[in-house]
Amino acid sequence: MKKTLTVVLAVAVLLWAGSAWAQKTLVVAQDEAPRMMNPHGDDSDAGLQYFANFFDGLLERKGPEGVLSPALAVKWERVDELNWKFWLRKGVKFHNGNPFTAEDVKFTFERLSDPNVSEMVNTGKSIDSITIHDDYTITIKTKKPVPWFVNNLHQIFIMDKEDTTTRDPGDVMVRPIGTGAYKLVEWVKGSYVKMEANEDYWEGAPPIKNVEIRPISESSTRFAALVSGQVAMLTGVPVELHDQISKNPQLEIVSKPARRSIFLALGNAPGTPMADIRVRQAIYMAIDEDEIIAKVMRGLASPAAQIPDPPTIGHNPDLKRLPYDPQKAKELLKAAGYENGFAITLAGPNDRYIQDAKIAEAVAKYLAKVGIQVTLDVKPKSIFFPEVNEGKLEFYLIGWFDGTFDMGRTYAKLAHTRDRERGFGELNGANYSDPEIDALIESANVMLDYNERAKALQELNRMAMVDKIVWIPLHYQMDVYAVRKDGKLNFQPRPDRWMIYKELSFK
Amino acid sequence: MLTYITRRFLQGIAVLLAVSMICFFIFQFMGDPVITMAGRYATFQEQEEVRQAFGLDKPIHERYVLFIWNAVQGNFGKSYVSRVPALGLILERFPATFELAVCAACIAFGVGLGLGVLVSLKPYALRNRFIMALSLGGISMPTFLTGILLIMIFSVFWPLLPSFGRGETVQLGFWRTGMLTIDGLKHLILPALTLASYQLAVLLRLTRAGMREVLTQEYIKTAWAKGLPPRVVVLKHALRNVMIPVVTITGLQFGELLAFSIVTETIYQWPGMGNLLLTSIYENDQPVIVTYIMLAAVIIITLNMVVDILYALLNPKIRYD
Repeated sequence: MKKTLTVVLAVAVLLWAGSAWAQKTLVVAQDEAPRMMNPHGDDSDAGLQYFANFFDGLLERKGPEGVLSPALAVKWERVDELNWKFWLRKGVKFHNGNPFTAEDVKFTFERLSDPNVSEMVNTGKSIDSITIHDDYTITIKTKKPVPWFVNNLHQIFIMDKEDTTTRDPGDVMVRPIGTGAYKLVEWVKGSYVKMEANEDYWEGAPPIKNVEIRPISESSTRFAALVSGQVAMLTGVPVELHDQISKNPQLEIVSKPARRSIFLALGNAPGTPMADIRVRQAIYMAIDEDEIIAKVMRGLASPAAQIPDPPTIGHNPDLKRLPYDPQKAKELLKAAGYENGFAITLAGPNDRYIQDAKIAEAVAKYLAKVGIQVTLDVKPKSIFFPEVNEGKLEFYLIGWFDGTFDMGRTYAKLAHTRDRERGFGELNGANYSDPEIDALIESANVMLDYNERAKALQELNRMAMVDKIVWIPLHYQMDVYAVRKDGKLNFQPRPDRWMIYKELSFK
Repeated sequence: MLTYITRRFLQGIAVLLAVSMICFFIFQFMGDPVITMAGRYATFQEQEEVRQAFGLDKPIHERYVLFIWNAVQGNFGKSYVSRVPALGLILERFPATFELAVCAACIAFGVGLGLGVLVSLKPYALRNRFIMALSLGGISMPTFLTGILLIMIFSVFWPLLPSFGRGETVQLGFWRTGMLTIDGLKHLILPALTLASYQLAVLLRLTRAGMREVLTQEYIKTAWAKGLPPRVVVLKHALRNVMIPVVTITGLQFGELLAFSIVTETIYQWPGMGNLLLTSIYENDQPVIVTYIMLAAVIIITLNMVVDILYALLNPKIRYD
């Protein structure tokens, strides 16, 4: 009898404990899986959002606007053109108990330039030297002036020097030891990432104690998991499931205009039709962006008049889209001497952006209406992006947002004339080239004063969008999430689409 | 027999070389992996440095020879994406795929054989005609449709079974199994059924055809005439003779279940090798792709060989020399 009672009690306690765990665990289906747990080895936002839960940067991005805020550094200063000084937070501990000091910062930034462990070689190589003043003050000197250097520091995650250098390199790739708000419990590749709150977190322990992330790449499976109640929320609601989810009374859609804009890039090689500004205007005016948003994007996008989004330095609020006017477009083509149109190839990825191939198709049809014969050439991103990098294209669809919230870096990479020696225009895939644009980019990127630089970038942006039509902007994407109402979750999407679990809580 | 095995072994090596060579040939058209490896903001010069660090600046034939040389020593290179050894990455996923394939094969073999025998006894009964019609569906319906339909029915409309993942698993040494927990077994049912559906239908039709042929034979009539009970006639005298082709097909298809469960694994987010292969293709992770394909080739070649040898042992009339 006594034995039976003990067994019953034990089972009851186990059940209770089990349900307590279940209550406190947040299960989320994310659309992208982590590739590794080495915070420097993946510079995609899909990967960075995982690292950001286990690690901290010197700075972090907060709130719906992504304001740059102190994290492991409490204060920073641009001493002169090249030197950046940081005062570090005291009393922070890594998950293994090691204290966080300037040595770890130095080690981290040096590690960035090793291609075997880092995809952030560019940041690593931009650093000339690192000087430690004492355990909590450090100066980083860059080789050239990098105005956006601190804007990037929310995605450079600090690793423990002692731990990283002594642990097996393979283990470092799969088991994160950081200072972050969560500690990794278990990562079973392809199945789940389980994490628990770091009770000693410097900002205070996060409200949700246990989080389980189930990466599900197949969108219908992700949807089924949410509807059947196996997960409390999902990220990346596909356009075609949006109606179904919004009709379901148990589910709630949360959306936020995304930072990424989708646009068309065109070359301007002398002798080609697109060297004529009137042709560029005609292409712009021939595209009915409102219809693309309504039909192709099912309303889940907002029209763009420029590439940067409002919080980005260089965003110019005065810019307006050219109106949709196919008649005017035909006249412009006629004036430019292309009354009978011309033939062109429109390239683009078909597995990268929301509805990317369909947008390209729509553009091709609009252009056909004004007499431009478009050959579509959409392909997987693994083939498309190398072609952009090689500068082989004449006209293509691409999307972009700058993780630093600074348009200077993006312009240098996407609009400056391709220049191998000086490191410009690596992703200027259609070989666009304009000396005035180049000069503006170069002068803005050495300006020290924030406001002066913001003005210069706004002017650059105006010139690129209005005078030159370097690109034809289409729309900003929309990030769409679905949440189960019975999960009682407080959730606010971030501008960078990262899932940072310390910002979530239960109602 | 020994010469036969040696010959098959040599053939196998030739196949492996050919398969890997085709992979390397195709990689040339798959885009340049260096762009992602160097990061979005890398300069041309930095991209070159990464290219050299990974030996990707060498011509394709040199890289191929180096790959084969390392592969012979068991080193298949590191994944470009997760930067850990490719073979380890794949073998880590092997238990999930193996358990799924074994379950699917068991379902296909058990149900297919059982129904096949049942149907063959009264081929024109309405119920049996219905089963045959369903089997046609099993053969012609694409796996992704079967999978999504099963999810719709059994986890969305009628929430009985989980729709994705492996559930609770237990680590036994290097092997992570989902077959020791109730949760794990529940997660296994839908994907195993989906993966089995095609094979089940094939085995059912094969058994039925074989049984119908055998049941008309003289020795079966003799057996009935002797007054043997139906169980003995059907199972002992008839079914035994049908088994050889059925076992052959099951064995040969097991390799395919193991190597090509890609669609099923993707629909159910099953953490197996097929799922990994698909992700690797999207991300152009060449070392993982070539290692997977060579591993799949090894499995299929070995299974074929084992089936052939077993065949000779089962039926001494068969000689390969």
